[in-house]
Amino acid sequence: MPKIEVMNGNKAAAVGAALSRPGIIAAYPITPQTPLVEYLTQFSADGMIDSTMSEVESELSAMSVLTGASLAGSRTFTATSSQGLSLMYEPYFRASTLRLPVVMAVANREMISPQTLWGGPQDSLTVRDAGWLQIYVEDNQEILDMMIQAFKIAEDKRVLLPVNICYDGFYLSHMAEKVIIPDQDKVDGFLPAYCPEHILLDPKRPMAVDPLTNGYLLTEYRYKHMQAQQNALAVIEETDREFTNVFGRSHGGLVETYRCQDCDAVMVTMGSMTGAAREAVDAARQNGKNIGLLKIRAVRPFPQTKVFEVLKDVKAFGVVDRNVSFGWNTGIIYQETRASLYENHTVIPSIPFIGGLGGEDLTMEHFLFAIDRIYETAASGECGPMTIWLNKEV
Amino acid sequence: MNVMDKLAAGQELVSPGISACVGCNVELTLRTVLRVLGPDTILAIPPGCMGGVGVVGWDKKSGCKIPVFFPLLDNVASMLAGIKLHYERVGRPVNVVAFAGDGATVDAGFQCLSGAAERGDKIIYICYDNEGYMNTGYQRSASTTKGAWTSTTPVGSDGKGGKKQHKKDFPMIMAMHDIPYMATANPAYIPDMVKKVEKAMKVKDGLAYIHVYNPCVTGWGIKAEESIKTARMAVESNFAPLYEVENGKFRINVTPKNPISVREFLKKCKKFSHLSEEEIAELQRTTDEKWNRLKSLCAL
Repeated sequence: MPKIEVMNGNKAAAVGAALSRPGIIAAYPITPQTPLVEYLTQFSADGMIDSTMSEVESELSAMSVLTGASLAGSRTFTATSSQGLSLMYEPYFRASTLRLPVVMAVANREMISPQTLWGGPQDSLTVRDAGWLQIYVEDNQEILDMMIQAFKIAEDKRVLLPVNICYDGFYLSHMAEKVIIPDQDKVDGFLPAYCPEHILLDPKRPMAVDPLTNGYLLTEYRYKHMQAQQNALAVIEETDREFTNVFGRSHGGLVETYRCQDCDAVMVTMGSMTGAAREAVDAARQNGKNIGLLKIRAVRPFPQTKVFEVLKDVKAFGVVDRNVSFGWNTGIIYQETRASLYENHTVIPSIPFIGGLGGEDLTMEHFLFAIDRIYETAASGECGPMTIWLNKEV
Repeated sequence: MNVMDKLAAGQELVSPGISACVGCNVELTLRTVLRVLGPDTILAIPPGCMGGVGVVGWDKKSGCKIPVFFPLLDNVASMLAGIKLHYERVGRPVNVVAFAGDGATVDAGFQCLSGAAERGDKIIYICYDNEGYMNTGYQRSASTTKGAWTSTTPVGSDGKGGKKQHKKDFPMIMAMHDIPYMATANPAYIPDMVKKVEKAMKVKDGLAYIHVYNPCVTGWGIKAEESIKTARMAVESNFAPLYEVENGKFRINVTPKNPISVREFLKKCKKFSHLSEEEIAELQRTTDEKWNRLKSLCAL
């Protein structure tokens, strides 16, 4: 029988990783991910997991140790936040271009300056073009479940790419809620052992990894990497369905929609803010506004078709971003969402919101305010970007 | 078995056709250590001369007959640590080896190497110290000798210049990590080098580090036919002594009976040709001080 426990997001990530039986774990502590590293080392000390732990001297080494371990054939796991992710950027990019199915949890935290340690996905969103798959989750159950799914997706032969499971620092990493812990034997059945075939450092099968490569061949690498990202669209959805069959829970695959069937306008969200947004949608509905909610789960690959299907017929939409896209004067997800609609025959009025930066709270009031602005946009028919800064307005 | 027979019995593990500059003693060092290490070896060649000449390979062709790869310049030891952890886990004895230049070792890669040494990752790390970024035209590194001309520590039209800072004493820094085995080596002393690689292979409880002093014919301005002779003079002048540290015990391997002056060694290298008498005297003084310090450590 599955156990039920009240746990914070870091523990959910640690338990999910442990259930996935990684051979080698290398991690360097950083707020707000630190407790996750402590849980894993404790699990190891208690003999609950048989993973080899490497207590590295930096995040650069965390990702580098895993790159080596994965090249040798091990399943690998790490976690980081913010500045730690920046420090590992060099091997981070390379783990994806080497097509290594590393899984890394990201307890999302703002980037400095100014000095900060509170939540916000600026860290991982900034590196969204480094070739990894990135999935953003809403609650602690989803964190645990997605750790297991992440390995399955990463190791799928159609994908073979590293995966980030991203969750809001403090809002999820440090908040406790009820989480169901699946049985180990069911996880083992869902997630078979990792068997590398595409790349390996083994004297029994000598191979040069990454010789100096000319542009014509590098182009092939990039072409196939891009194809793998597109293949992941189906694999993420398939994996969610398969997970539902085994464990009885679905998290929506690429996106999650809420009350979108009969809506005339949509609010787009991502991550833990979605809980409050959902409440706001219910409240607005009671006031006669047929608003729907679209939660983005996969940012890489970006679910362009799914987003297009949800938004193509609405009168207006707004996107709430807990991050910024310097140079666009909007958030990042707003740009990604708008780009998904280019093939639409008519221009859909839209409005960008930025809020919750540096861990600022996003409350129902913020979302009700945003919904009002979305309907004003629908009425005026105007298009952004005139970003509304929610924590300045409400 | 004597060294010649041993090397002859070893396999040539670098692919045919790979060659560096005429007279390059790093290539000799690589071929020698690989003959000792044998085919059960995974080799990391970070960006640098050996990567540049094709030891990892070009396009779809491998430069080696063993598994070989480019780590990043700054994560050599960490990538190797991960590989070794895997093989320890599956219980297979495999030599996991770095063959890295001084840029990847004493500069950009130092943090990773220091971390692996402290954690006791069971890798063999061989640094070929040619005192700079030779592959890209000889820029200075922390391992460049004080006073040396490099393309980033140029000599001015007044004949003055060169690197202003001392060479980082990297073998000593690695020894002070209290790793089980640290040794210096030199391409003019092959039997000594072979013995040291064999010792490094026997280390079971941590990181083994070998620092090879490799004067660079092209970058330093040394005659190709004097490549080995110049390397030997670095030992004969006590400028780059041959010593090893086994579990904390220091031992000098070659003690020149009548050391030659540092000046004689410097004279062989064009990169020192602008040095003043005072600058040469300072290098002699530093050499003597370091030699005395080394002897004191050996007496402990």
